[in-house]
Amino acid sequence: MLSGVLLLTLTVSLPVFAQQRGAAAPSQPAPRTAEGKVDLSGVWQGGGLGFTLGTDATPAPTGGRGGVVATYKPEAYAKVQEYVARRGIDDPMARCLMVGVPRITSMPMPFQIIQMPNQVIFHYESFHVFRLIPTDGRKHPEDHDPSFMGDSVGRWEGDTLVVDVIGFNEKTWLGPVGSFHSDALHVIERYTRTSNESITYEVTIEDPKVLTKPFTARGTIRLLPGDRVREYECGENNEDIQRLEKLLENESLFRRK
Amino acid sequence: MKNKFLGLCLACLCVLILTPLGVSAHHSFGAEYDGEKPITLKGTVTRIDWENPHMHFYLDVKDAAGRVVNWKFEGYPPNMLIRQGWKKEGTLKIGDVVTVFAWRARDGSNLAHSREVTWENGTKLQSGPPAGTGGGGV
Repeated sequence: MLSGVLLLTLTVSLPVFAQQRGAAAPSQPAPRTAEGKVDLSGVWQGGGLGFTLGTDATPAPTGGRGGVVATYKPEAYAKVQEYVARRGIDDPMARCLMVGVPRITSMPMPFQIIQMPNQVIFHYESFHVFRLIPTDGRKHPEDHDPSFMGDSVGRWEGDTLVVDVIGFNEKTWLGPVGSFHSDALHVIERYTRTSNESITYEVTIEDPKVLTKPFTARGTIRLLPGDRVREYECGENNEDIQRLEKLLENESLFRRK
Repeated sequence: MKNKFLGLCLACLCVLILTPLGVSAHHSFGAEYDGEKPITLKGTVTRIDWENPHMHFYLDVKDAAGRVVNWKFEGYPPNMLIRQGWKKEGTLKIGDVVTVFAWRARDGSNLAHSREVTWENGTKLQSGPPAGTGGGGV
């Protein structure tokens, strides 16, 4: 029963695409740089990626968007279920930690893309996160240390920016409650600006230590004309930490029955 | 059992569809707050903390016995409040009489996760994300 509830819960708890601040004007073609490449620059709002968590035995959901399931190995899925039973109290984000990739794209706060000839800069309002993504052909450095946001290198495939991300620590979730991963996480993002107003976002996630196979989720990133990246200092007065610690003294207050 | 399950599916689908598009991730909403315990309270604003990662404001509310009880509400951080039409100065003021729709904290204290504030002149502003967003379900 828990697994059924889990699937439903995760479906419900997924952030829905943030569209309300997106442009309502008729679609215009994607702008291009002086060199003729599609220009991703702008202030954007990401959204949910519509995937749920399960195992190879979990039927793909028919509702929502896409029916994509992250298939965990049985022993890993038991851990997911425990996180869900604890209603996300273990969410690293509640401790104001950077949320990793691709979850950062699902945050409800915008981000700015600054495209340059040899690199693309992502500046996220959430958690002051930035990503400097080289597109000059370099490889991942050999001395990267496992990190929250991993190490990103980019390349252009036609009009699509492809970002390869490795080098993660094990302290972030992929998105939904309990979507933990290992340090073997490998994320491949594809950003395609299909019009002035939107970017198609496709992300392939593989983690051979905890997932049985890679999966690909999709979302739409929408332009926020006139908006700007503001400050968000998660650590200013995060009372959640104290409240969560207090709740943990009496698990019956929050644990899913 | 099957009908119950289907009902759950339908309810969840409704929540999914009806979830406002401008969502915000609350830190572990489901652990801290009970989405099945909505509450609407009217009272007088006594304190406002315009701060990250969540704004807090307090209301003096009369309970059923006529006693004044102080309630604490959590809401969006400033960056998100501004996008909902709030300003640090002048939107919510100490002494304002407002009605707040919220969900109660699981610990049973006079703490709630606010969703919408309504002023006496009918002005309404969203003050926090819907229940269930940000993880943990409702």
